[in-house]
Amino acid sequence: MSRLTLNRRRFLGTAAAGTAVLASPAYLRKAYAQGGEVNIWTYTNFVPDSFKEQFEAETGIKVNIRLVDDQGKQFNLLAAEAPNPTVDILTVAGHRFLQFIDSELLAPLDTDRLANWGNINPAFSESDWATIAGNKWGAPILSGMEVMSYNTEVVSEEEAQTWDTLFSDKYSKQTAYIIQDMMSIIMLKMGYDGNMVAYMDDPDKAAAIVEEAKAYLIEKKPLVRKYYDSGAEVQQMFVNQDIVVAHSWNGPAAALINDGFPLGMSIPKEGSYGFVYTYNIANNAPNADNAYTFLNAILGSPEIGAAMTKASGFISTYKGADQYLTDLEKKSTSFPEEQLANLQFFRAEANEMKYGLVDPAVEEIKAA
Amino acid sequence: MTRATRIFMSVIYWAFVVYVFVPLILMVVMGFKDSKFIGFPIRSWTLDWYTGVFSDTETLSVFGYSVVIAIASTAVSIFVGTWIAVLLDGRKFMGRAVIFGLTILPALVPGIISAIAFRIYARLLGIEPGMFAIIWSHAVHNVPFVTLVVIARLSTLPKSYTEAARDLGADPFVAFARVTLPYLMPAVIGASIFCLLLSFDDFVRSFFLGSYDPTLPVLIFAKLRSGMSPEINAIATVALVITAVLGIWAERSTRRLNKENA
Amino acid sequence: MTSEAASADHARTATAANAPETTDRTFWGRIVNWSPYRALVGLVYATPRRQFLILAVFPVLWVLTQHLGPMLQMARISLLDAYPPSPGVAPNFTFDNYARFFGESIFWMPFIRSLTFAATLSFATLIITYPVAYFLARHVSRNNRMFLLLLLLIPFWVGEIVRTYAIMILLGNNGAINLMLKWFGLIDRPIPFMYTGFSLSVGIIYLTALYMLLPLYSALEKLPKSYTEAAADLGAGAWTRFRRVTLPLTLEGIASGCTLVFLISTGFYATPVLLGGPSTTVFAETIAGFFHVAGDQWPTGAAFATIMFLTALVLTAVFNRLINALRKGETK
Repeated sequence: MSRLTLNRRRFLGTAAAGTAVLASPAYLRKAYAQGGEVNIWTYTNFVPDSFKEQFEAETGIKVNIRLVDDQGKQFNLLAAEAPNPTVDILTVAGHRFLQFIDSELLAPLDTDRLANWGNINPAFSESDWATIAGNKWGAPILSGMEVMSYNTEVVSEEEAQTWDTLFSDKYSKQTAYIIQDMMSIIMLKMGYDGNMVAYMDDPDKAAAIVEEAKAYLIEKKPLVRKYYDSGAEVQQMFVNQDIVVAHSWNGPAAALINDGFPLGMSIPKEGSYGFVYTYNIANNAPNADNAYTFLNAILGSPEIGAAMTKASGFISTYKGADQYLTDLEKKSTSFPEEQLANLQFFRAEANEMKYGLVDPAVEEIKAA
Repeated sequence: MTRATRIFMSVIYWAFVVYVFVPLILMVVMGFKDSKFIGFPIRSWTLDWYTGVFSDTETLSVFGYSVVIAIASTAVSIFVGTWIAVLLDGRKFMGRAVIFGLTILPALVPGIISAIAFRIYARLLGIEPGMFAIIWSHAVHNVPFVTLVVIARLSTLPKSYTEAARDLGADPFVAFARVTLPYLMPAVIGASIFCLLLSFDDFVRSFFLGSYDPTLPVLIFAKLRSGMSPEINAIATVALVITAVLGIWAERSTRRLNKENA
Repeated sequence: MTSEAASADHARTATAANAPETTDRTFWGRIVNWSPYRALVGLVYATPRRQFLILAVFPVLWVLTQHLGPMLQMARISLLDAYPPSPGVAPNFTFDNYARFFGESIFWMPFIRSLTFAATLSFATLIITYPVAYFLARHVSRNNRMFLLLLLLIPFWVGEIVRTYAIMILLGNNGAINLMLKWFGLIDRPIPFMYTGFSLSVGIIYLTALYMLLPLYSALEKLPKSYTEAAADLGAGAWTRFRRVTLPLTLEGIASGCTLVFLISTGFYATPVLLGGPSTTVFAETIAGFFHVAGDQWPTGAAFATIMFLTALVLTAVFNRLINALRKGETK
């Protein structure tokens, strides 16, 4: 990772600007004076090291980072700690908001306390999924999407424009996908709403759709090499040439591209889903004031957003972050407009019904 | 023993050695690959990943943290597990089967469940997440392995040994310390190896019961999010070398101590 | 000197040292003649009943509070209809989570598969490691033995995940083995080793071999050579000697190793998920699924875990009964 060149004056500048416009600057003065700490659960490199050092030096607030590796574990840990968590800020994938909110694990985000909220691209900060029950619940930092990734030495760009390639006889036993995610995409491919929000009043229809998607994946099971779970797995399968085309998240694929591997990515014409990682404040957070100070600071400059993108391969939600990326990094984190038009965001409203149907279906596909 | 069987046996042994060492060698070699991902082909080499392990003090302190946890939890498991084995061995009493069942219970529960159960119970007991909580969960989880290994050895201890000692006037404490315990030593060493290994490689309990300091597997899992990089291989290799050196040093010094005492 | 002889030796020195009349100046001598110690011994060993109670109280308290305690929490959760509880809604007690297991066959299959898998694995590990342990304990001179055993232990210290990825780059289409075969001109197209039963076995024997190897080694090591030699003198062939002498006398080690392997392999999760093919779901994965994927359902997961460990407990008990019966039968 290249070092951040966030200089001291610029940092002070944004911090000072923040103080000036904040509705209640008292808490900030308190934080500056008292120091204290802020506890964060996040993925590796989501808080750039140089930003962390600078933040600690400027504010006297110690940043404790606990690395998590998966949303499920983070949820379980927080649920086991509730109602008195040890954490202030956690990193939730946008489409899992609802689960955290329903269990009262998150506090609504008071965006008025974040002077730098406007630095986020409104496509993310004001998107429909971002507001639930009239509140904002998190500050978007990185955006991911479900893409088709392919070895460019074997698979052509034309072939990569349709999900059918993933199920073609030509690449039999050279494909891989995350089966839960694939269920949503198959539903979309069949012309249904993969978020299942449209069928919330019609559970029978929902069940029939899941059944249809399940039958399709069982029929195509002989062609798949591996149902996988983690980004590291799909990267390794490409490197080992065990597969040539896969469904994956864009972050792991971008990391391979940036390392010089002949990999391409596309959002196929049938469409796909996107999601956003957000920083959220835990309900009953022990250091809520410091958490706001931290969030405001990390939203301070597009350079910080670019540093997160370089480390993770996911797309920055900050306005103007791409000017700090190299050409290769830009290429691996952008898509043509016509492909982006095929993208929709995951929505959580129907999740209880959806996963009530999808989870058993996944079990049956694996067992088939 | 015929010559043919001897050769056959040694071929099997060395084949087994090759099997267990090949992945290890691949791991060490991949630590030198100049790329963010392990795998073939290796186009250029670098020492950066290895030197990085030593220049990043965090990695080394994480390793030290894991070692301390492994040793402390092993000590507790050995103490408790051996005591339970002594209680259960050769005695018939009401509830023996129940105690045996409860003893091996922690080994029967899949990792994620046991981790969450420990986390909830820790709060009930007022144990704060952190080093102590991790040591506690590892110790409890590893007790069954100690009891199973020790009891197997204990059951082969000829009664005549302890009886002879008792006949000659040794009280049971002394008979245990000077006859039973030395006899159990190989089993205790074996069980310690299991415990150290289980603790050192445990991810899920360490994650759920830990605080903001990661253990080695927790750090590796977090790093794995951005791909299996040569950096992880370098960290694992360095950890392995240090562990091996510590192990050999421990073995040497106990041998020396034994000689001095003898 | 075998460990038996060592212990017998200890027994002699111990008893010599502890005869009350001797004015022994050794460590143990001083201890046993120290009056508070003698008073304590007198108190503890007054009656066999008291002796037993004192021995039993700590283990019983430990297993009840440390082993049973956390699991009771899980068992309680398994009987609730919702956990973590939704705010403002008191959870109700229900057996539905257990009924769900027996009601849906898609859950039995990974369950049965896990148990057969664990049993097969125990047996396979036994077959593979027995010759290795036998070679070490019987064919290697005492001086080299420790070294060769320690040599075998080294690779097991590499973490499960790092090792599993090393196996991937060994067996992958572009992995070390395929590259080598291609180099020698033995193949044109890579052989797909990965994500098959083969790759799974390669990865998983790693996780179990050690737990089998050490108990077997310790059982074989104590077996006096004179036994098999005597059998040979009586004209027994190699196979008969093994079957009638070595095998019965190492049953204890076999039982111990198989139990250990069975116990740990029912909980395997990461390696089967990473190395197995699309059809190898193990039960631990099913259970973890209830905790991980979007529709988190702790109570169902907890109920399934309870079913799992009760079954494993019963199977372990039955297996150990069988071995005991077998041993008694052999020594008669």
